[in-house]
Amino acid sequence: MSDYSIYGGESRVATGDGDLTIDYRGRQGPLFRLALKTAILTLVTLGIYRFWAKTRIRKYFWSATAPGGDPMEYTGTGLEKLLGFLIAVAFLAVYLGILQLLLSFVGMSFFDMGDGTSPQDIVVQVVATYATLFAVLPFIFYAQYRARRYILSRTRWRGIRFGVEKAAWGYVWRALGHTLLTIISLGLLAPRASFWLEKYKIDRTWYGTARFEQGGRWQELYPAMKHYFIAMAIILVPGGLALAAEAPALLFFSVIGVFWMYYAIVYYYVNTFRIMGNAKVLDGRVGFRTAPRAVKVFWTYILGALLASTCAGLVASGFAIIAFGVMGDLSRLETVFAPGGPGVGGREIAAGTLLLVGYVGMILLYGVFSMIFVSQPILEHYVQETVVTNPDALEDVTQRARDEMVEAEGFADALDVGAAI
Amino acid sequence: MIHSDPVEARYFDGKSARSHAVEVRLDARFGAQVLVVEGYGTDEILWPTSELREMTEQARDEGIVLSLGQDGIARLIVPHGEKEDLIRSVSPNLGKRQVSRRMWRNIGIWAGGAVAAVLLIMFVIVPGLANTLAGMLPVEREVAIGNQAIRQISRFLGGTEENLTCTGGEGQKALEKMTARLVARQQIDYPLDVRVFDHGMVNAFAVPGGHVVLFDGLLKAAASPEEVAGVLAHELGHVVNRDPTRLTLRTAGSVGILGMVFGDFAGGALALVLAEQLISASYSQDAESEADRFAHETLAAAELPTEPLALFFQKLKDKYGDSEGIMSHLASHPDLGGRAAAARAADTVGEAGFEPILTEAEWTALKAICK
Repeated sequence: MSDYSIYGGESRVATGDGDLTIDYRGRQGPLFRLALKTAILTLVTLGIYRFWAKTRIRKYFWSATAPGGDPMEYTGTGLEKLLGFLIAVAFLAVYLGILQLLLSFVGMSFFDMGDGTSPQDIVVQVVATYATLFAVLPFIFYAQYRARRYILSRTRWRGIRFGVEKAAWGYVWRALGHTLLTIISLGLLAPRASFWLEKYKIDRTWYGTARFEQGGRWQELYPAMKHYFIAMAIILVPGGLALAAEAPALLFFSVIGVFWMYYAIVYYYVNTFRIMGNAKVLDGRVGFRTAPRAVKVFWTYILGALLASTCAGLVASGFAIIAFGVMGDLSRLETVFAPGGPGVGGREIAAGTLLLVGYVGMILLYGVFSMIFVSQPILEHYVQETVVTNPDALEDVTQRARDEMVEAEGFADALDVGAAI
Repeated sequence: MIHSDPVEARYFDGKSARSHAVEVRLDARFGAQVLVVEGYGTDEILWPTSELREMTEQARDEGIVLSLGQDGIARLIVPHGEKEDLIRSVSPNLGKRQVSRRMWRNIGIWAGGAVAAVLLIMFVIVPGLANTLAGMLPVEREVAIGNQAIRQISRFLGGTEENLTCTGGEGQKALEKMTARLVARQQIDYPLDVRVFDHGMVNAFAVPGGHVVLFDGLLKAAASPEEVAGVLAHELGHVVNRDPTRLTLRTAGSVGILGMVFGDFAGGALALVLAEQLISASYSQDAESEADRFAHETLAAAELPTEPLALFFQKLKDKYGDSEGIMSHLASHPDLGGRAAAARAADTVGEAGFEPILTEAEWTALKAICK
């Protein structure tokens, strides 16, 4: 994991004369307050506010990002997201209900639904999960394409709208084919899938009247697979030796390989972004140079998640300690709620409520803290490591018509496959 | 009206991706307070301050971002400072957002559509399909699923199937005699497996494939073997109606829908659990009423009185209290007082007397099955 030597210590992306750098001006304090406020509103409205919460957070992240000092703008509204969600539910409810029922019938007819501990049960559960996934996969791809179209249609920079062409079904069957090929090839053709799907999306993306274009070749993405191959070698070689020499102790190295695979995945995403980012062109004239670092992104995920869970955990422990003080002995909770128990007094109710609030609060706070410790630092890193070349050509770009898109990103919200931010 | 000195600002006309350096000042035109923008083309741009809207949740701390009306495409970024305060003081509608009637109508229509679709799937399609599919499942599959369910429940109760199942030989014989008399005139497609678990709970349950489990606590709470027979008849009703299988399928169909509606967040999980409880309770309340009806018929066919079953319900009511009103929708078993009354009303034996289902000795053996 010595990427620092490749890209050089703390170096930033190389900036030439006349290049447009991108500022990131988001700060922890205001984002924390916004995230906490919207998370609490989401909680007390039993989830209805989540559409407004996501919209407000997006407005913040967009406006924090400023190519050449001019902030991006997100113009979506919570109400149109709610409308899109309602439309999606009306369409999807019947399909999903019947599908899940049929799948569990098939499961009951052919598989032994064990108690979930034997290897055979685990295989069955994995198969069942994948069967469900494949039945909804076309909808997931459809939803993802549409969500991207919605988000970009509500994104502006210097007053000019972005836009994506209506081509979701073409994306669905391509994505299905590429996914299948990737699985059959045990991941070896992942770069081909990544490249062609990205090209399909990018070649249909516009900034005002200017079209984006994805250049390059898919074979150029293989350097991004470097750590995938290393991880596979660490898993398979000791595994094979362990089998051949009947020395199970060697399997310890395979475990390291599994952890290495996590880094390999981050490395792949960061570097495909970098390689394909450098090959993107707007209007045939404006280019991009980007150099995000996998090591930085990886440790931001790990340490950020650790920090977020520690902070959230501390708050929850606070509630537990107070509950302990109120109640005296928490183990009594079980007995007082059991039928025929001594009955529930004010103290028990207070302690139980405190515990529940602490638990729900912990989940909520984890989301808020990971916003400032994971999402924002990673976005900031990508943004700061990217420059726009030949930005003068942007001055000729003019406005495009509004893409109404009443359904917004409802399908992605309903299937819960929306963007992280 | 306020007239101010000009201040430098940035203007984006919404037509091209060009940033324009402009000067902005407050002035009065046509009797109204306006923002005058100069330096964009030759003419002044006039923005009435009552029409100014501010972009919210701005992370960048370099100025106030304004538009003309909430749907205006052009943007004006005025730096923070005195001028910003002045603009704020004369612009009453900066935060005002109006929602069109068309939008409200759309929300109304699609909210209706979404609710209708969810109700249709949860209360019509899923129950109907679950009933049909439950009938199509081969008996041997149901038996296998039931075996696994019993293992899972045993683990949940903190033991294993082997050490929970009571093995008193004489007691088991008595239980089989009781079962045989109850099912003598009933057509049951399953190999029946009735047993007692060594657990203090006053309860009994049926799992797919003809397995019925009574808890030792129930035997202890019963005053006569006929009370146990009444409960057993009720559980056999679940077996005949394939309730455990149907409920499993129904739950599978409706859980995903609920997850979709409530989304993935802390409060959603809470709402999800509550809604699930309501749904499965309303499914199983029907099933309980059906099983009660089956129990009444079975007792009548076996020439047994229903009074002991009513007494048992009464006993449960006295011990745990009744659940009526809102609470009865959350409980899977309908109100016990009503069930006791229904059992009494279904009696066919009356004062005539009946042949006890077990002898004194057999009843003693059954009560001692877990010793």
